[in-house]
Amino acid sequence: MGTKYDVLINEGLVNGADILKSSKYDTSLGLNMAEDARRLSDGLISEEEFVSKYQESVSKEFNQKLEVHASEGSHDNVKWGMVIDLRKCVGCETCTVSCKAENRTPPGVSYNQVFIEEEGTFPNVSRTNIPRPCMHCDKPPCASVCPVRATYKADNGIVVQDADRCIGCRYCMVACPYGARTFDFGENYDEMLGYEEVTSPEHGMDRGKRKEGKAPVGTVRKCNFCFHRLERGEEPACVETCIGDARYFGDLNDPESTVSKLANSSRAFRLKEEYGTEPRVYYLR
Amino acid sequence: MSQSAMLKESNDTHSNQTLAKRFKIWMAVLIVSMIAGGGAILYRVIEGLAVTNLSTFVPWGAWVAFYIFFVGLSAGAFLLSTLIFVFGMEQYERVGRFALFTALICMVVALTFILLDLGRMDRAFNAMMYWNVLSILSWEVRFYLIYMVLLATELWFAMRIDLIKLAKDKSAGLKGKLANVIRLGSSDTSEISAKKDHRWMKILGIIGIPIAIIGVHGGTGTLFAAVAAQPYWNTPLFPIIFVVSALVSGTALLIAMYVIQRKVRGKSVDLTMIKGLAVLMIFFLIIDLTLEFYEFLVAGLSMKPDKMAVLDVMFTGPMSWSFWGVQIFLGAVVPIYLVFSKRTNQSVKALTIAAVLVVIGIIGVRFNIVVPTQIVQSMKGLPEGFYFPNWVEWLSSLGVVAMGLFLYSLGARFLPLETQEGEVKGHE
Repeated sequence: MGTKYDVLINEGLVNGADILKSSKYDTSLGLNMAEDARRLSDGLISEEEFVSKYQESVSKEFNQKLEVHASEGSHDNVKWGMVIDLRKCVGCETCTVSCKAENRTPPGVSYNQVFIEEEGTFPNVSRTNIPRPCMHCDKPPCASVCPVRATYKADNGIVVQDADRCIGCRYCMVACPYGARTFDFGENYDEMLGYEEVTSPEHGMDRGKRKEGKAPVGTVRKCNFCFHRLERGEEPACVETCIGDARYFGDLNDPESTVSKLANSSRAFRLKEEYGTEPRVYYLR
Repeated sequence: MSQSAMLKESNDTHSNQTLAKRFKIWMAVLIVSMIAGGGAILYRVIEGLAVTNLSTFVPWGAWVAFYIFFVGLSAGAFLLSTLIFVFGMEQYERVGRFALFTALICMVVALTFILLDLGRMDRAFNAMMYWNVLSILSWEVRFYLIYMVLLATELWFAMRIDLIKLAKDKSAGLKGKLANVIRLGSSDTSEISAKKDHRWMKILGIIGIPIAIIGVHGGTGTLFAAVAAQPYWNTPLFPIIFVVSALVSGTALLIAMYVIQRKVRGKSVDLTMIKGLAVLMIFFLIIDLTLEFYEFLVAGLSMKPDKMAVLDVMFTGPMSWSFWGVQIFLGAVVPIYLVFSKRTNQSVKALTIAAVLVVIGIIGVRFNIVVPTQIVQSMKGLPEGFYFPNWVEWLSSLGVVAMGLFLYSLGARFLPLETQEGEVKGHE
């Protein structure tokens, strides 16, 4: 029952059971697996539980082996890196916006920006858009100046900012040649409902509500390569949302990965290489 | 300002009553300033750094400038004291203990400024708990504390015999009681023990010289010079300029403090010593200017675009008056004229004005170290920065400086900082 819209929608809805019945495989197994897959993605059950529950029936029914995706679960020996193709970048700032949305950054805090450089005079004009996340340098000047080791180079290549240790001296901001660090002055988007519900999810831990005077307010903040998303096997928000597919993300330790190959191409360069910071973000000119 | 007013009418003799009244007025002014500044500090503590004019684009401002200014004053005052206690320049003996005490108070003021500047003041002790060996700032925190302990110890040895005398003096009142506590049970006033004191002061002074030059102030300069991302700071000459300008400001401050104190108390001023110190101050100032001149000349001639951009902001930007007006004209040209001109260099007043102007000039130097390089952004696309301290920063700074003067005045009142006339004699 209901309005005619409800009727229309209900008619349009596809019944999973009906579709599965038309295949030659077991319908109830398909429905159960779909159900548990949803619970898995919601984090209610672990991947190991899912695999042990269905391993037997999957090999019987599909003649395939179901196993825990080890390479996604543990990121041992990974050095994350990014490649940004400047020919593909249209300068739309989707990365900037999706980063703000994903990481719930307050006003004035932006982990990613897009710099637009126009050169020449009409009609000989060129325009380059340079998106700038944190470079996650191999030799990060921010980490070497930090008096309390609140920012450091993690084994996976990410330059981490410890919001619980940072004293807010802002030495790292002065020392970063890329302007990739911002200070959290404690401002809020008052007009946005629910904005304060989550604080800096990029640290991969639940910090609860954003409150006045509570860290990360009063500390320096920076891009974390969306570490919380990497842990879930997802790409950073800026990579996933890029409308021109200009960003690539992956393991620079793996010579076969897309990012490694692109980083070795003749088009690749890095920002301000003369500083010796060895950025892990490459650009393709 | 009330100080200079007091200075004018100081030539006649004063009874103890007027002195006490002046001290009360002076302390009242300081307390009012501290309350006003305390209000601004409270506002900043509650609301965070958002109430300042600091931004992500110009993250360091007035408090950092004042912090290096006071570290410089401290190092300068201490190094001047070593001229007396280590190198035996007895002609300056009268300012010896004042120099040590000033150095100590300046460090307290400097650390208060940097505490105010922390985004999370509640985590200030993290700076002691965690140590990053690569971070100059991490080393500095430790050097500051060692240096302050050294200053206090040396000052104690310098005052020891006077403290014992005061403690025995029944008429000394509160001053005597305080001396009795601070003497820490020491009671030997013999010639031999006095010699020992001087030996200790010499040893501490010798240890203190590298700590003050390399550790405290050269280190503070290195804190800036080591930042490759700020090409204006990133030169080996930078820490040296820091140390030299510390000597300039330290000497100037001691001249001003000594003369003002003596005048206010209606006591005579040792003109020969003042003249000597003023020439010393100008000597340091000229070395400082020469070093800065080469810093700018080399940067300009090598045409490095990022350095040129900073120099451009400093020389022609909207705040260039602080360079030409404060740093060069008030802080260098006028004092050099006052000290060298035959018409003015016999006058205590003119020399004191020269010293005060030099101190103000060095404030300009410190601001021009911290701010212009941050106006030029590290990436071309970032918005142009601008910075001028707002009322919260000014008022809180006034409060912190008033706190320093308050502590100093209490010390000058209750500690035997003044060397007795007869006492000035050689060590060793």
